[in-house]
Amino acid sequence: MATSKARMSSFSRTFTAASSSSTPGLKFGPNGTIFISSGIPDLDSGGFPLGSLVMVMEDAEAPHHMLLLRNFMSQGLVHKQPLLYASPSKDPKGFLGTLPSPACLYKLQEEGLRIAWQYKKYFGENHLNSDSNRDGKQEYCNDFDLRKPLERHFLSGQHIDCISIQDTPDLSTLRDRCATFLTQFPRNDGNISSAGRIAIQSFCAPQCEYSNMEWDMISFLRSLRSMIRASNAVAFVTFPPSLLSPSFSRRWQHMADTLLSVRAIPDDDKELAKLLTGYHDMIGLLNVHKIARINTQVAVILDATTFSIQLQKRRFLVLECLNQAPIDATSGNSYGTSASCSGSSKSGTLDF
Amino acid sequence: MAESISRALRDGVLEGEHAPALTIKDSIASPFGFDVFTHILTQLSSNILAGKSQSRGLVLVAFSRSPSFYVELLKRRGIDVPSSQKWIQILDCYTDPLGWKEKLVEPGNNVRISNEASIGVCLCKTVKDMDKLLSSIIELGKGLVGQGRVRFCVAIDSVNEIIRHASIASVAGLVSNLRTNDQVSSIFWLSHSDLHEDRVTAVLEYMSSMVASIEPLNATGQRYDRENLSLTEHNCWKGKLLVRLKRRNGRVRVMSEEFHVEQSVIKFTSLSSRDEILNRSLLPEVQFSLQLSEKEQIDRAKVILPFEHQGHDKHIQIYDGRRSLMDSKNETGPVSTGLSQTNESCGKGEIVYFRDSDDERPDSDEDPDDDLDI
Repeated sequence: MATSKARMSSFSRTFTAASSSSTPGLKFGPNGTIFISSGIPDLDSGGFPLGSLVMVMEDAEAPHHMLLLRNFMSQGLVHKQPLLYASPSKDPKGFLGTLPSPACLYKLQEEGLRIAWQYKKYFGENHLNSDSNRDGKQEYCNDFDLRKPLERHFLSGQHIDCISIQDTPDLSTLRDRCATFLTQFPRNDGNISSAGRIAIQSFCAPQCEYSNMEWDMISFLRSLRSMIRASNAVAFVTFPPSLLSPSFSRRWQHMADTLLSVRAIPDDDKELAKLLTGYHDMIGLLNVHKIARINTQVAVILDATTFSIQLQKRRFLVLECLNQAPIDATSGNSYGTSASCSGSSKSGTLDF
Repeated sequence: MAESISRALRDGVLEGEHAPALTIKDSIASPFGFDVFTHILTQLSSNILAGKSQSRGLVLVAFSRSPSFYVELLKRRGIDVPSSQKWIQILDCYTDPLGWKEKLVEPGNNVRISNEASIGVCLCKTVKDMDKLLSSIIELGKGLVGQGRVRFCVAIDSVNEIIRHASIASVAGLVSNLRTNDQVSSIFWLSHSDLHEDRVTAVLEYMSSMVASIEPLNATGQRYDRENLSLTEHNCWKGKLLVRLKRRNGRVRVMSEEFHVEQSVIKFTSLSSRDEILNRSLLPEVQFSLQLSEKEQIDRAKVILPFEHQGHDKHIQIYDGRRSLMDSKNETGPVSTGLSQTNESCGKGEIVYFRDSDDERPDSDEDPDDDLDI
């Protein structure tokens, strides 16, 4: 899922996923899989297959899961895909105001060569005018500018539903809302009209009343997964595994079709600066643990499982594949010694 | 470090963000949490009085000590108390948290449960109800700073007491609501980590933006060992403060400091180098050992190198194609003659080499061992 475009193994059967012209947000893959974009170009090679459950393991010390969540939600709204958003805050609608807007093409011209001002008029109007992006061909995956909030017209519409899960005593209301939402996207063998997105933020957040009902939460996830399988939608759930007991944390990880985790990195760490190039621009790490393989039995071997999260010019989310993996990156466990972010004391060995 | 925590609490919150929240965490191995709490409280109070902080008032929720204790403490540390009504309010959850004393009093008796009404103390009798507690805190705060954009900060004396009465979910809800309230500038609390389950500690750390852990100076902590008695005494008044700050950009700043407590006043100093366990290398353990231990260094020095001149009469015989060993020792500079010489070896075989003519130039390749001291 996260292969770098330059390196394609000669042994892997590469497929050219064709974008559908009628529904720009969908891409058709092999074996009848249909993909929707995650909103992060570096993470998308294909995207998330419809019918899958994506889970992101949060780090209690960093808010990076919010970046992934925001991009996922914005991408859906830009493609006019209906969205159901559940959050443990009292006012989830307020979060919609922080969703990023797609960056206009102008951004590409700022990088690289600076062209003398008078030449710009020869490039034609479409490059300068971001409005044409909307009228013309829509991209499958946009670059989002985190400093620019999403325009009003994307947010107004009947297709956004917000739920607060803080005060709900149990999960039956949430389950019912999800079921109702997913009836809009039944998976028939016929034509697909549109895809839906469900985003659940910090599912086991401690301020939610159901957060100590561990069996109820896992049973909710199981029913969500079975509902999602039968519909043309993707569910994106983030959760902090440190707040769950270890056995349940494992169970949740097994529930996921696609499993990602984000980790914080220590600040002003000279050793890490020596080990990783580009440390100063990094704000965190992203690990890909599992990729959804629906409709196929072919295992996927990723080129890279660890990415560094960077914010270019504090606006654009960029993931860079780390060639020299930091300690314990491949095992996916808590990172490093007690001096590091997650506080566990395990150090790995470099394989030569 | 205590300074940076105090600064973060003093600077408060930016618009649109959650208020900074500090957890002070200690355990039986190093039970100085309360000293650190009072230190932070004193620093914040003096900042409020001096007008340096974002908040204009402080609401102290007192569970484990009586309000008069805090008043005395602040007086001792030079904080202006008579005018305290303007900047501090204490929510007294210590005297009668569950309202039992009130029920014991027979009607008709005028019993004054609290005589500290003059110093801005409000009695709370329903600590089980988190919503009520939240609204009392907000009310007291508004009473201090009024409506509007002015903020106040909140200090909770002991979270352990609240958790005895209410579930962790409701306590997390209380903290979350305080952090998102428009008028709260910062919030901090003390927690004794061994009084409850790990999950509770994990939840408190999740909800806070700064975690200050108090640990003993040496890792072994409290062990009732006869030989180590001096060690435990050493730990008695000293300790280590480990701070993890969650920064806005998503990175975590880790800092540590030593402290010692003298006559209930705590003093912070930077960590002495022998105790800097934190600076242990994060580089991965390589399978090849690139460092030498001391024994290995000594052994290495003892190895006799084959071409080395040992500096005493016993010399190592080396065959050299152009000159004998004896001659090379006596000569002052590198001289290469074309004469062949028989080598006086130490009895092993000898090779006799005859050059074709004396006019021949010496071997074109220079003796590479010319500069060796053989």
